[in-house]
Amino acid sequence: MSEDFDFLFKIVLIGDVSVGKSCIVTRFKTGNVFTERHTNTIGVDFSMKNIRIGNKNIKIQLWDTAGHERFRSITSSYYRSAHGVLIVYDITKKNTFLSLQKWLTEIRSYTANNVICALIGNKCDLTEEREVTLDEAKQVCELVPEILFCLETSAKDNTNVENAFTRIAEELMNRQSCINDDHDSNNIKLGQSKSVSNGCNC
Amino acid sequence: MTEIEEQLFQANQEREKIVLKYTIGRKNQLVDYWEDPDFGLHYKTDRYGFIHTEDLPKEFDEQEKKEKEIEIQRAQKWLKMVKNWEKFVPLNREKLYRRIYKGVPDKLRRNIWLKMLKVETQMKANEEDLANNKPSVYNRMLQLGYKYSTEIRQIDNDINRCFRDHEYFRERYSTKQQQLFNVLVAYSMYNMELGYCQGMSTITAVLLIYLNEEESFWALNTLMVDKKYAMHGLYIVGFPKLMRFLAHHDRILTKFLPKLKKALDKHNLDSVLYCLKWFFVIFVERIPFSLVLRVWDVFMLEGERVLPAMAYTILKLHANKLLKFKDMDSITEYFQYKLHKNFGYSDNYVINALQTSMSELRAKKLDLPPPAESNEFPKCELGTFIEPSIEKKLGLRSSIFSETEKNVTDLVITRSEENGNDLDIIDENQDDNISNLNTAGSTTPIRRFKSMNSLNTATSIATSVNSISSEFNQNDVDDDISENEYEIVESTRL
Repeated sequence: MSEDFDFLFKIVLIGDVSVGKSCIVTRFKTGNVFTERHTNTIGVDFSMKNIRIGNKNIKIQLWDTAGHERFRSITSSYYRSAHGVLIVYDITKKNTFLSLQKWLTEIRSYTANNVICALIGNKCDLTEEREVTLDEAKQVCELVPEILFCLETSAKDNTNVENAFTRIAEELMNRQSCINDDHDSNNIKLGQSKSVSNGCNC
Repeated sequence: MTEIEEQLFQANQEREKIVLKYTIGRKNQLVDYWEDPDFGLHYKTDRYGFIHTEDLPKEFDEQEKKEKEIEIQRAQKWLKMVKNWEKFVPLNREKLYRRIYKGVPDKLRRNIWLKMLKVETQMKANEEDLANNKPSVYNRMLQLGYKYSTEIRQIDNDINRCFRDHEYFRERYSTKQQQLFNVLVAYSMYNMELGYCQGMSTITAVLLIYLNEEESFWALNTLMVDKKYAMHGLYIVGFPKLMRFLAHHDRILTKFLPKLKKALDKHNLDSVLYCLKWFFVIFVERIPFSLVLRVWDVFMLEGERVLPAMAYTILKLHANKLLKFKDMDSITEYFQYKLHKNFGYSDNYVINALQTSMSELRAKKLDLPPPAESNEFPKCELGTFIEPSIEKKLGLRSSIFSETEKNVTDLVITRSEENGNDLDIIDENQDDNISNLNTAGSTTPIRRFKSMNSLNTATSIATSVNSISSEFNQNDVDDDISENEYEIVESTRL
């Protein structure tokens, strides 16, 4: 069963302590149930989930990292082989949003340069305590090329959690199809270069 | 006020707010309902205080009953021994060893831990202070910690997630949560080189199930700085002891379980993934709690050599099962959840196996890794104040990785790369195994994607995608990049 997939993506969750990374993972894995209370993640926790997009089976490996700064020397080594990174902050704690710059620095130093990121504002159910607006996140998104999209989630209410993973998986799938085609099919490669060269010649 | 001063002011306020919540406790504040876990109306508490909402299997109850009976029989002997500990132990070491491996009566665990962790001796040193109307070291550290500890936010976060399925810790700001907070805050002040590291909250919570607040502080101190346990080096920045023990664990596997080692490498399962938690919290939440206690008893008796021996024992007992797994997911799930829920062997059986492992390792001189260097131990005298960096005071992540941190990252990467290299060899020679490799998908393109990614060579996908998209951009400049890529994919598919 577990080998029955068309794509395998490694997605790493990073972000400050207690922004809800593990809750997002659990919610994504269990769907409608939100009962587990979390222990702190020491080092890295690994889990996985199969999803379907279109007619493709996609296996997502979830690497849930400890937010505690002391562990960054270990967790950063896991960014390296990641295909996608979810940078999670807590919309009720401005500090966790302001750390973005530092997380980006870590990503830039330790990931392959083709990695794609999404900015995830968790705990959006706590509207009264909000300290970061969605607009602020969107603005940052536009400034940072690695960040493909931003999204607010609530692991508690199950808002947008699946969406976050699906979107990043879709994007990876598209890129990968693109590469596959590029490498594996001469026809398509020719067709493509033709259209591109057409464009250039104009 | 300058910007930094303002930030400092805010950080201080945040700290004071947290301290206040713990000092006034649960009774004197409104705790939101969602702060506490809800176990519903029907739940059962096991003999250690953990709450179970599902019915426990009958055999569990039976086993508990049996254990209790045996313990009552043993309690007499233990009581005698505990009473005369100082005289008895030096003359009867063998008896002590035998009895601890057989199992400590839970009722006397508290007294035995106090003895083994030299709590009373450390507290006696305080009596002079108390006689002179000076507060004890613990209380002094606690008061200082309330005011100056930079670890308070992290400690608060972790208490919120520590053993919430235990009757002592399930309620926010309960007495035991207050004690846990106090011990960790005080210790972060007493041993400022170490401060606080995740894992310490779990260790302290286990101690607090059996000991009181101040006792737990000194017990924790023994575990951190006594050469026998020396967990200080496990938790400090750079984790020197972790690295040393991981390397040793790999050595043991290569020597004693080479087939399994190969299989784990094949699945790219670096031992840091499972051993880190084992070592950091001495197996808590990775094996059943009743077994954790037995392992802790032996750990207190034998010291750090129990860590590699127990890790080896777990793998040895489960090697056949582990060898059958076809992917990394199943193996990590087995390590992370299954062994905790049901270890598959009785506690007695495991402890016997642990003892056998220890003699096996000792016979091959592999019971301990090469000795620690001085960086694994505190450099300053305990209780010395070390001025924290401004980033620490503000509770911000420091932007630059220290040399030590960089070295660790490199080390972990090198470890996984070594596995990766093995993987490449397998990749070429054993095509039939490919579907089992976690990094390799069932389709060739994914494998290529992955290997490009992990080796960081070849043109990265991003570059190739971007080059296409940048060329594409010349056709259609206004669209944003991601959409372009999407369209390329669509069009190439057609």
